[in-house]
Amino acid sequence: MSVLARSVGNAFRNKIRTAAVVAVLAVAIGLALAMLVANQAVGGKVQELNASVGTVLTVNPAGAQGFDGGGEPLTTAQTATAAAVPNVVSVVGTKALRLETATAASTSTTGTTTQQAGPGGGGPGGGTSVTTNLQAAIDAGTLGTRNNASSSTGSGSTGTGNTGTAPAFSLPITATGIGAEVDTSGKALNITSGTGLGDYTVASTKALVGTTLATKNNLKAGSTFTIAGRTFTVAGIFDAGTTFGNNAVYTTLAEAQALAATPGELSSMVVTVNSMDNVDAAKTALQNALGTSKADVTQGQRNLQTAVSSLDSVKNISLVAFIAALGTAGLIILLIMVMLVRERRREIGVLKAIGARNRTIGLQFVLEALVLVALGSVVGAAIASFASGGIASALISSNSSTSTASQRGPGGGGFGGPGGNPFGGASQLLTSVTASASPGVIAAGVAAVFGVAVVGALVPALLTARIRPIEVLRGE
Amino acid sequence: MIEVKDLVRQFKSGDRTIKPVNGVSFELEKGTLASIVGKSGSGKSTLLSLLGALDKPTSGDVVVDGVSLAGLPAGKLTEYRRRDIGFVFQQFNLIPNLSAVDNVMLPMEFAGMRKTARLERARSLLEQVQLDPEKQSRRINRLSGGEQQRVAIARALANKPKLILADEPTGNLDEQTGEHIIELLSSLSRDHNTTILVVTHDRSLAQKTERRFRLQQGKLSEETVRPRVAAGT
Repeated sequence: MSVLARSVGNAFRNKIRTAAVVAVLAVAIGLALAMLVANQAVGGKVQELNASVGTVLTVNPAGAQGFDGGGEPLTTAQTATAAAVPNVVSVVGTKALRLETATAASTSTTGTTTQQAGPGGGGPGGGTSVTTNLQAAIDAGTLGTRNNASSSTGSGSTGTGNTGTAPAFSLPITATGIGAEVDTSGKALNITSGTGLGDYTVASTKALVGTTLATKNNLKAGSTFTIAGRTFTVAGIFDAGTTFGNNAVYTTLAEAQALAATPGELSSMVVTVNSMDNVDAAKTALQNALGTSKADVTQGQRNLQTAVSSLDSVKNISLVAFIAALGTAGLIILLIMVMLVRERRREIGVLKAIGARNRTIGLQFVLEALVLVALGSVVGAAIASFASGGIASALISSNSSTSTASQRGPGGGGFGGPGGNPFGGASQLLTSVTASASPGVIAAGVAAVFGVAVVGALVPALLTARIRPIEVLRGE
Repeated sequence: MIEVKDLVRQFKSGDRTIKPVNGVSFELEKGTLASIVGKSGSGKSTLLSLLGALDKPTSGDVVVDGVSLAGLPAGKLTEYRRRDIGFVFQQFNLIPNLSAVDNVMLPMEFAGMRKTARLERARSLLEQVQLDPEKQSRRINRLSGGEQQRVAIARALANKPKLILADEPTGNLDEQTGEHIIELLSSLSRDHNTTILVVTHDRSLAQKTERRFRLQQGKLSEETVRPRVAAGT
């Protein structure tokens, strides 16, 4: 019988105790593995956020944003200036258009000039309204009607000032010309069917349509529709993840500029920085390069910083919990093995009396500990595979709740508005973290558990070397 | 040949110094079956521990086939115990969760013998100590006291030791089983040409050994030297 076989036998000498020890170890190891899985999942998400959305800056004409405000438009030439700024890895220009049905456009013309031009629409930085045969996928509802009414009764300086009853209102569709296959926040478009537009820098009558807009108008890849009398073919359908975002159309940048009859003009630029650490410096440099009187530089979805910060907290908590659970497993092994060594003092004395070396006896106890850990790891891995998702979600939700409370501060409300979610889109990112126990992570966690177990078992194993057979056998 | 030279072992107990072994000297020829008798607490077990290198003497020396134990490092003493000594204890001290044959194989495993060789020798030794073959694979706790002591004797013989030290080997056995055990030790001593030193307080058992020593207040005196008594007489 080898040392290993003897160790396995010893591990099962008292089956009830072995079951109890394995159960306790399994809980500790399962918790450790679940925390490691959560840590890896959150870490991956943080990396993903840092590598994409969190490093995006948006450049708008000074005094304008989207369809609001005024000022001078950005130009294609300014993309080169932006691209030359240190740490900038890409610059994508956009051109915004408002698509309205011929009926709505006609109503706007006779009713509210501000609506025709759009809020800020008369300004060069805003979107240009063009006609389309597409029906908007969003009903105006209370908010749309109220917004329409306020704009028609507001300070429409260029309009005729229809202050009477608001006409029936149909929401416009957002069309954006883009220089690459990204949305206006710099995030890669999620094309669910069909293809992209190919070369986004040349004029093309291919377009990408949002899912809800496509459903509303019975469009699929290969279908056609019109913008300003030109026929466009649907190259693909995309999913922006929001109802508003899916009531939209993307064309190539050059095509949108041609439709608006404003070649060389941009509504905005999406600038990607190489690292989140360099975002602030790049923002300042970009602002200086473009000039404060010509461009406003904003950090795209700054609230994502809160999300990343929150996820970082979860990552740190899960790491600490992993180490704590690992330490607990090691401590359990240490205490169990110390107890076993004390219980088997006579046996150890006998083994020494018949010629066993200290290292042979020590190895026997370490191997016995590893047998227990192996059993605990099997059960613990099963626990982790079932529990890691729930534990990660609980950690994230409890942490984001804490962050929410601290963000809102006294009086509540916070920057999301009364009753709003202060994280905005970030909350979706928080809940989209999927913690699945991959074999690699489990293997790494089990390896760490075994490492700690060896350390935990070494102490009692070394204690066996101090046992003198004469002291043990004196009771004869 | 075993030579014990002026062996002393003393302990401190408060202000007092106790000498359970006080200037013990004797020699044993190879293949001798000898016994040490004495009352409880007379120092018999302490003397046995010194001979078996389980304890270190305060002074004096034990020389086994010309090799002095005094000054040997711990590793060498372990090797001495493994190679040259076999222990038989009153409480048997077998490993309870192992089978009889596994217990006998243990010292051979520690000596680095190959598994097939040690299994073969363990079975042979268990046959020599007359343990039924069907009981050789039983766990120790499923054997009687006499059977366990037979296994312990087989284990003591495992590495062909020069000296077997038996501490009250019949102390936990009934009279008849004790008789059988001492007969077994006698025959093994003869067959294996192994020196066996038995510590006992049982005078009738001691009378069956060739040489009989008496330990009293740490001092050893030889009572009898006589030819070996035939087994069963």
